[in-house]
Amino acid sequence: MPDEREDIIERVADELRQPAPIGASFDARVMRVVRALPRHVRRSLWSRLTTPRAVTFTPLGGGLLAASLVLVVAFAAPHAYLDFKHARAANGILARSEAPAPQRVQFVLIAPTARKVAVVGDFNGWDATHAADQAQPRGGGVWSVTAQVPVGHHRYSFVVDDSLWMADPTAPRVIDNVYGLPNSTIIVGEQNP
Amino acid sequence: MKLVVARFAVLLIALAPPLAAQDSRLATRLDPKTYAAVIAIVDSARAAKLPTAALVDKALEGAAKGSDGEKIVTAVRQLSERLGAARRSLGSASTADEIKAAALALDAGVSPRDLARLRAAAGKRQVTLSLAVLTDLIVREVPVATASNVVVSLARSGIRDSELTLFQRNVRQDIEHGADPSTAASTRARGLVLRASATSASKPQGNAPH
Repeated sequence: MPDEREDIIERVADELRQPAPIGASFDARVMRVVRALPRHVRRSLWSRLTTPRAVTFTPLGGGLLAASLVLVVAFAAPHAYLDFKHARAANGILARSEAPAPQRVQFVLIAPTARKVAVVGDFNGWDATHAADQAQPRGGGVWSVTAQVPVGHHRYSFVVDDSLWMADPTAPRVIDNVYGLPNSTIIVGEQNP
Repeated sequence: MKLVVARFAVLLIALAPPLAAQDSRLATRLDPKTYAAVIAIVDSARAAKLPTAALVDKALEGAAKGSDGEKIVTAVRQLSERLGAARRSLGSASTADEIKAAALALDAGVSPRDLARLRAAAGKRQVTLSLAVLTDLIVREVPVATASNVVVSLARSGIRDSELTLFQRNVRQDIEHGADPSTAASTRARGLVLRASATSASKPQGNAPH
């Protein structure tokens, strides 16, 4: 019984070992199919970069790449954070969620002969026409306005009758060597909740 | 490609508003030549990580005061130089307000060395108010050396901001009532320092419960 089976296997194998008969037109038919395939197109760098493709890694290569990334992040992140922090501190920039709300600050000037008084400063772009910063007469020559001023150090001045610049007599003053008109300073702190 | 460019543009726009707003105010209030010169100074200051908002404000102030373009550029350039000197004296960890206040103090005649002395005396506390008071004393004709020594001694004694504000007010009133500026500042400061040292001497030592 086993001999009979081996004999069958041997005959099938012999049959399979026979070369397949190929016709004379076989080469021509293959070349026709090859020529019919779309030609290889030279793609741009951008197209190569943006076309999805599968990338394979060996476990060793992947591990080394991951370790390199961890090292770069570990060394670069603290420096990047400090640079950002310094730049932000230097520019007084706070993220919107961190920015303290502007505080209401009252400015008072005694100017009995004035017809109009406005407060101008770096908190309103030195704009004397800013409606919210026009002082109101309170009687007895007292003018006052309560303005919204961001937290921090500010320079300001009063503009009387659209022409006369006056420092706040009650506030610290600063020298202005170039423009030659007086300014005062105010430091607005964050109000306790 | 278009999507990536659009996303990048949106990111740039999202980051840009404060600067764009400042620039638009400058563009509307300055002539083109002055605007270009001011923007160049602001760009240099930004590269040096200085508080550029102070420079924009200085230009806007000049425009509001009716100064000509040349004066505005001079003022902005001088302020930029002083901001740099102020940061060098106070240290790179200083806040924008401290640097601005220190630049004004330099403008009033305070030396970079005195700024560094004040920073050392104050330790980690903010020196913005001390610098504002120092500048005010000089404007009110207290000699620079006296004013610097007074403010440094107050900072070293650790007095609070409220006491410093009261000190400034008292000195101003003394001067308005005819006192010699130097004497008024020195006398008021001595009183504060003595009180501060008496208070610290009477405090219990160690970690005793209050």
